Formats: sequence, structure tokens, C-alpha cells
Amino acid sequence: MDEDKGGLYRAVILEHAKNPRNSGRVENPTLQARASNPLCGDELELTASLEGGILADIRFQVRGCAIVTAAASLMSQVVQGQDLEVARVLGRTFAGVMEGEASDLPADLAALEPLVEVKKHRSRIKCALLPWYALADAEGAGG
Amino acid sequence: MPAGSCSSDVGAMEINANRADFPILQREINGHPLTYLDNAATTQKPRSVIQAITRFYEQHNANVHRAVHTLSEEATALYEDARAKVARFIGAPSARCIVFTRGTTEAINLVAQSWARAHLTAGNEIVLSEMEHHSNIVPWQMVARETGAAIRYARVTPRGLLDRKHFSSLLNKNTRLVALTHTSNVLGTVNPLRDMISEAHDLGAVVLVDGAQGVPRAPVDVAALDCEFLAFSGHKMLAPTGIGVLYAKEHILASMEPVQGGGGMITRVEEAGAEWMEPPWRFEAGTPNIAGAAALATAVDYLTAIGMAEVQAWEASLTEYALAALDQAPGITVFGPRDSLIQSGVIAFNADGVHPHDAAQILDEVGVAVRGGHHCCQLLMRRLGVPAVLRASFSVYNDQGDVERLIGGLERVARVFR
Repeated sequence: MDEDKGGLYRAVILEHAKNPRNSGRVENPTLQARASNPLCGDELELTASLEGGILADIRFQVRGCAIVTAAASLMSQVVQGQDLEVARVLGRTFAGVMEGEASDLPADLAALEPLVEVKKHRSRIKCALLPWYALADAEGAGG
Repeated sequence: MPAGSCSSDVGAMEINANRADFPILQREINGHPLTYLDNAATTQKPRSVIQAITRFYEQHNANVHRAVHTLSEEATALYEDARAKVARFIGAPSARCIVFTRGTTEAINLVAQSWARAHLTAGNEIVLSEMEHHSNIVPWQMVARETGAAIRYARVTPRGLLDRKHFSSLLNKNTRLVALTHTSNVLGTVNPLRDMISEAHDLGAVVLVDGAQGVPRAPVDVAALDCEFLAFSGHKMLAPTGIGVLYAKEHILASMEPVQGGGGMITRVEEAGAEWMEPPWRFEAGTPNIAGAAALATAVDYLTAIGMAEVQAWEASLTEYALAALDQAPGITVFGPRDSLIQSGVIAFNADGVHPHDAAQILDEVGVAVRGGHHCCQLLMRRLGVPAVLRASFSVYNDQGDVERLIGGLERVARVFR
């Protein structure tokens, strides 16, 4: 059926929404942030452990729609093991694509391609960017 | 087919004929006919209302209350006739009780900033309910912060009804203001306002009714309700956005100070100060939404020609039909009274395990427009124990086919998220 192909809810998105990777909390996080979308009530918490500026472990706890859940899951795979500042630059690049300032995803963000469809739906773009906003805002967790 | 639909068959035929009056219903959305079920957010507009706007700008456009030329006389007549028509529509004794605003929100804020700021002090209490829209909560929180008055919230029962006993227990001699919705914008619950208003009056409180959902869906008679204030919006009752109404008892309006100063609201201005016009003009500083008022009058004509009792009966029959269909649909949880006798044209539900925004998005793919979210009712969402719900809401042009397309869309939601 057409509904199973393409569109917003392609198989990759649904699969990540049902089985989000790196879900939960990092114990004794060194980096932490919460982000929410007041429009729809989506909320997520990012916890991570930084080792020498590297995101050694990053996890998300999400209460929200399939898009934000899948976006957090996909993002966690992309930035796991990355330098924090490099990861933040990737976030700005992804935001640029989603907000129409850049047209193509660079190769290091290819895994996020299934989310690009979301940019056609203005009200949902923030769902795809919410985990990246959390990473941009994340601060030390006092540990 | 739910019981009781026979009695609405006649209404169905009459109301069905009206679909052709709404040009937007011809639109296709994602290759499917538009199934518009977001009427609690805003209704679509009949051709006559759209033409009233065009006609105003093509034939009568001028400022009101300002000039002696023909166009200004015509514009003034259209604007003031609209005021009189709205007064008759809600059973108000006089057009002088009708203030035009941008909508319900501005009407409530006007009462909060003018009446409430002048009358409330520390120790006073405002009684609201948990089912209020944020626009009937936040303006009172602003006034409470300024005056030191306290806010009490009447609870909502698990069935989605206002807890009458709890409401009564909140009323006391310190209660100065009670502000309640006529009909819940999420659950469709219709509150037993006459009893509640009379109970509030017994303790000397003033009552504001949020009629944003109630006035478009049922006959509302301010004389029978005896409320001091009624606020409602044009755009939820077939009229354009940007025009709304504050009804108030005449002696109360006369005691209120304006919140905005400007042209059109004074009798005399001197260096040291100014004298206000009589109400309602005192509250309408600046050039008003004249075309909007004229179009609101046309919307009132449209609804009056159907009859508000018929609108109410039609929406009740659709609500019954939809509740029965949603009950049959697997994996759907319905919130609220589930009883068309106390539920008017609005149904809240969720597809189990699917976030309302995802469900609404998939429904949109087949042209079904519903809203998913907290619907500006975060207190109620907390009481229901969910972050968000889906909402289907009806207007005069909806029919059983719309309900069937909604149910078909929900089957698709279930397939995608299986």
C-alpha cells in the first residue's frame, strides 16, 4: 500500500520510533539538557557522559510523537563517539537543511535522510530538531 | 447507525444542502476530499459571509461614526445593525450591551483588565474550572497577580463533567467572580450554567461565561442565563477571524473604564484629560473591524435561517453517530461524557499507542482535518492524565460521511503504527 512507502512515516522512522536506540538515561551524566515543544507537549531529556570532549555515551528519554522519538534515536547514532563541538556543528547543519537554508545533507549526516521529508510539514520541523536543540543547550551536570 | 438518528433525518437533509454553500469544501487535500473536523478551532465560511466582506469593500467602505458622507453613513449603519443583530441573536435586551472585540480572548481580557482590576482586592476569590481554555485562565492569573486575589479551580470528574459539589464548595462570601465555559473545547461537555450562575449570584459573585464553543453550537440566551458577561468569537460561528463579542449587562458596562484610549471612544478631549463616550463605544477605541462585523451579521443570518435549535440537534445526532462509530473502532479511547445530551459537537479521543500528532498527520494524508494537542487546556490534560488528545469537532456542514472518513482514516493510522 502507498501508505507504507515514502511520506513522513517511512519504515525507517517507524522502526526507530518503535525501538528507539540509546533510550533511557546515562548514569552520572556529565552533560544534561531538557527540551520541550510547547505546541504539542513533546518533552525529552538528554543525558551524556563526556570523556575528553568526546560524547562517550548519549541517551534520550522521550515523551512525544514518532518523529521526535525517531529523531532522537537517529541522532544518538550519529553523534555517539563524536567530539561534542563537532556534533553541535552537525546539529546546526541539519537545522539549516530542515529550515530550508541548505538543500542537501552532507555525507556525515546521511543517516538523517529519512527525516528530511519532515521539512515539508512546517508544524513538525521542531519535532525533528528538538534533540539537536537539547544538545546545543546541554550543560555540565555537576559530575 | 445509532439510535435516535431518525429524528434528525429531516435535519440531515436540510443541513446537507448547506455543504454547497461552503466553497472550501470543494477542495481536495492530498488527493482526497476535504473532511473538515476542526471546527472547534475555527469553522469554514459560507459564500454569503465571504461575499459580505467583498461587498463591504466594493460598495460601502468608509470609516464609521466619523463623517456625514454617504459611504460613512452606510458603513456606520452596517456596523451598528450588526451590533443589534448580535444582541437579538443572544437574547440581549439592547445593542448597547454588545462590545465588538477581536474575539473571545480580547473580550475576556477586557473584563479582566477593566472590571476585575477595579473590583478585586487581596482576599477576594475567582472561581474557574479545570476545563477552561487558557484564554479563560491566564487573563485571571494576570489580574490575580496584580490585585492579590486568589484563584480556585472547580475539579473535572473522570467522566469529564464539572464536579458540581466541588464547585459549590468553592463558593463563599469572598467569591467575587466566577468564569466558566459554556461548552468544553476539548470534551464538548455542556455545563449546567443556569444553576451554577444562580448559585454564584446568591453569594454576590459576578459571572462571566466563555461562549466560544457554546454560542456556535446551541441557542444561548443571556437573559435566561442571567450572566453578567458572555464572550464569544465570530470565526467559530461561520464569520471571519478578527471579530468577536463581549456581552455585558448594561449597568456593569456603564461602570467600567476603558482599557484602550483613542479615537471613537471620547466625547471631549482637553489637555488635562478626556470624557468617555457611553458604552459600548467607550470600549472600541480606533477604527473597528467594520467588514468583520458586517460579515458576522451575515453569519448570524445564516445560522438563524437554519435555527440554533436545529444546529444543536444536528450536532447532537452527529456526536451520537461518531461516538457509536468510535466505540466500534478497535484501539480507540474516547474521553469525556460520551452522551450527546450533555456533550455538544466536540469529541476527544486517542488512538492507543499513537501520539495524537502522528495520528493527525496520517489523517491529513487522506484529507481528514482534526486537531491533536493540548488544545490550550493543559489543566484538563493533567486531569485526564494524557499530554495530548485528538479532537474531532462538528459544524453545520458536517455529515455522517465525514464521520465515516474519519473512521477510515483511523484504520489507516492503526495499519501504519501496527
